[in-house]
Amino acid sequence: MTMIPLVSLHDPLHLLLLSLAISVCGGVASLLLRACDGAAIRVAGLAGIAAAVAGLGASLPALSGPALVFEAAGPYPFAHFVLRLDPLAALLIAVISLLSLVAWIYSLAYVREYAGKGVGAMGFFMNLFIASMVLVVAADNAFWFIIFFEMMSLTSYFLVIFDQDEEAVSAGFLYFLVAHAGSVLIMAAFFIMANYAGSYDFAAFRTASVPAPLNSVVFLLGFLGFGAKAGMIPLHIWLPRAHPAAPSHASALMSGVMIKIGVFGIVKVGIDLLGASGGVLWWGLLVLVFGAVSSVLGVVYALVEHDIKKLLAYHSVENIGIILLGVGVGMIGIGIGQPILAVLGLMAGLYHLVNHAIFKGLLFLGAGSVIYRLHTKDMEKMGGLARTMPWTAFSFLIGALAISAIPPLNGFVSEWYTYQSLFAAAFSGSWLVKLATPIAAMLLALTGALAVMCFVKAYGVIFSGPSRHAHPDDVREVPATMVIGMVILAIACVVLGLAAPVVAPVISGIAAATLGAATITVADGVLLIPADAHQAVLSTPLIAVMLIGAAVLPLLLKSALSGSLRLPARQAAAPWAAGYLPDAHMSATAGGFAQPIRMFFGPLYEVRKSIAAVWSKVTFGFERFISFARRSEPCWDRALVDPVGEGVVASGRRLQAIQGGDFRVYCLYIVAALVILLVLTVR
Amino acid sequence: MPDLSHLLLAVLQALLLLAAAPLVSGMSRVVRAKMHTRHGPGLLQDYRDLFKLMQRQDVRPPSAGPVFRTMPIIMMACMLVIATGTPILTRFSPISACGDLITTIYLFALARFFFALSGIDSGSSFAGIGASRELTMGVLVEPVMMLALFMAALLAGSTDLGAIGAAVASGRVHSLTAVIVAGLAFAFAVYIELGKLPYDMAEAEQELQEGPLTEYSGPSLALLKWSLSLKQVVVIAWFVGVFLPFGSSLDLSVGGVLLGLVAFAVKLVLIFLAVGIVENSVSRTRFRLTPQHSWLGVGIASLSFVFYLVGL
Repeated sequence: MTMIPLVSLHDPLHLLLLSLAISVCGGVASLLLRACDGAAIRVAGLAGIAAAVAGLGASLPALSGPALVFEAAGPYPFAHFVLRLDPLAALLIAVISLLSLVAWIYSLAYVREYAGKGVGAMGFFMNLFIASMVLVVAADNAFWFIIFFEMMSLTSYFLVIFDQDEEAVSAGFLYFLVAHAGSVLIMAAFFIMANYAGSYDFAAFRTASVPAPLNSVVFLLGFLGFGAKAGMIPLHIWLPRAHPAAPSHASALMSGVMIKIGVFGIVKVGIDLLGASGGVLWWGLLVLVFGAVSSVLGVVYALVEHDIKKLLAYHSVENIGIILLGVGVGMIGIGIGQPILAVLGLMAGLYHLVNHAIFKGLLFLGAGSVIYRLHTKDMEKMGGLARTMPWTAFSFLIGALAISAIPPLNGFVSEWYTYQSLFAAAFSGSWLVKLATPIAAMLLALTGALAVMCFVKAYGVIFSGPSRHAHPDDVREVPATMVIGMVILAIACVVLGLAAPVVAPVISGIAAATLGAATITVADGVLLIPADAHQAVLSTPLIAVMLIGAAVLPLLLKSALSGSLRLPARQAAAPWAAGYLPDAHMSATAGGFAQPIRMFFGPLYEVRKSIAAVWSKVTFGFERFISFARRSEPCWDRALVDPVGEGVVASGRRLQAIQGGDFRVYCLYIVAALVILLVLTVR
Repeated sequence: MPDLSHLLLAVLQALLLLAAAPLVSGMSRVVRAKMHTRHGPGLLQDYRDLFKLMQRQDVRPPSAGPVFRTMPIIMMACMLVIATGTPILTRFSPISACGDLITTIYLFALARFFFALSGIDSGSSFAGIGASRELTMGVLVEPVMMLALFMAALLAGSTDLGAIGAAVASGRVHSLTAVIVAGLAFAFAVYIELGKLPYDMAEAEQELQEGPLTEYSGPSLALLKWSLSLKQVVVIAWFVGVFLPFGSSLDLSVGGVLLGLVAFAVKLVLIFLAVGIVENSVSRTRFRLTPQHSWLGVGIASLSFVFYLVGL
């Protein structure tokens, strides 16, 4: 297909290209306007909003398929520029666009915080970051995929080091290192596949069959490479350092969307590209094990954090684990040849991917709002903000409930499907799967309980109880655009939960299209069904209605039984403190609240220390390697370049001796030369 | 979607449990008094307490926000919804859309979330520690519940509480030993969830001034106390519905449901008598040592898992 000059707004591909063009133009304009902060913020933001709307317009119609392909000639014969908008890519682009739309709305006020620190550059990198994420997802050629993947890592690297302090720069360095180690592995995987496919086009990869031991090598390389991007344990170490360092709207995109590209990559390599090479059962089990470990350890580490953004970043590790549980079941389904199980598992993973993007984005924006007003990330110095920042508090509460998988919100729906897919997998023939899935379900329950604890702590210590802030009266609600950004995502959390009977079939259709399998029944009317109605049914709208209905009863009881003599509620002077003078620091604190878990799960924190030790050795080794390279660089000069140069100079100096300037000596040279030539020829 | 008669049954059983909850907690007080060989209050004392509290003024601490105010309502609503999904009078769950084992565990988590959050919201240090403990107990108990119920569900082929109960009652399970051991593990987890001695951690009366309840007074305290006794009844009903469903009605006939009611009441009284005897003959476990106890639960549940795998 050649490029049609007219842009048609009905063609998803044209809208996608339009969205990319707006992003790039907005970024460049923001960079050009860097002298004028206000204009740069507005131009970057408005261009970003327009690009996001176009991105949504491109991706939403494409969710139901069929795949649309855009081709253009590349600079080299192997670098075919191919964009493919299949349902899975459309889902990812929809998530990227929604999150970036909200982040841009939020940025209009939030970025003023950074005025004078180069907001023009920030707008440039943000716009390019979003465009590169869209391109990674849509690229259908290994060469361009790697290019855009690198572009995504680089632009986000610049966002991480934006603060330019020591922590940000060192976090950025670690991020840079891990991101590139990951992309080397991905490149290796693609090279092996290209060898068998004879082309770098993903279309050729899909039909190429890689023989038995090598397909597992490709999968492992891809899994570890993309796993590093996704932030699964033990490759997570960069994530809790890099995400908090970036500005909050960029953290929301990195934690909400960018790490999902890691999961997307695992699905792409393990299910899509290696589809013709056949799924192997242990791949799925491996993903399942990594998912279970990441989910439990992620939340255990999150619990003891005082830094709100670090806490949220560790929760991203946890949720990547939960997504991988679903993806793992999907791959187990392929491995044992049960397409229904495969679709159910992958659908659970994808649903959680969408949900996590939304509530994690919301929570990061909420954290950003709090930091915007208080200028600290330390939760111990917050407290009682619900009174002064009601909108932020309410949105954060919705996000906290959703991430804790509390029914009837969206997090619960996707975890419910994850449980159901684990349950369905437990009936498969393989005893390894029978052994692994109930344990994974138990660990998911443990994760859920820990997440509840963690978010009660986070919401409670930040927004509830007495204020521990130095100037509590100075704190106001954040500007309207920031509130709007958070409220949109809070509404999305509720809608994706209550409208699950409508959303689930769409996502299961995407899972089925990715797997090339038949669709399964996941909803019937207002009921959610995990393929088989005898296994279980759930109805989030019904639960919501019943909860609201049941809440009327205690209110009725209260008014019926209390009689007319009851006095209105009164505020006490202070909470009871066993006779001592109550103090804000006596109430629950972030450290004290999680102390029991720190005590009961002590060994798991020791594990973290050893993982961190390995990584600090890697970083240290790398830094030593650089300084060694710097020291050894002059060696080449001394050993090779210098002797040649010195030799030339020295021999020149010696040659000068015969060139004295005396005409008679030159005549003697000529005569001598003639004599020698004569002797040589006559002889 | 449930039809009208199922809906009526659901409402009926939720209201019955709500009405009976103070009676059951009153019975616990009578048992305690008998074991202390004192006269003690009458069986209906908790109804009188609730009525008296309803007449009193609500006093709130200064830092209390909307979470503190709405928590007793959310707590009761949540327990009522769980009660509608649990198979109590009948073998099947009246509203199966919320009678799934995962949904039930997470609805309990919803109640736990707000219960603990209100503890922080009150600003009281006792309530804060109680909140932390409540959630820690959740962390220790939920995995045991999940594994035990998952085993029973695997043996029944469905995660629906009613379907599991029906399979257990009919003996149509391929490993009876596994079901019995899973039942033991679940009973242990349910006992911890009751919040009775020796696991009275969050609302520890003598130690933490009733934890998150510390700052509640008047009608809010009445609703909260009522909800907590309702929770104990619902938790027991959950256990009975899954592992001891004998005697419950197989259909919606009036006679069957009434018979199911009688059978449930007998089981409830027997279990609460047993619980009363246990809680009054042990002392509190040290909070630091509770993981050792919950490991026992994990151990029993894992044993059931082993029996399931080998198919004994």
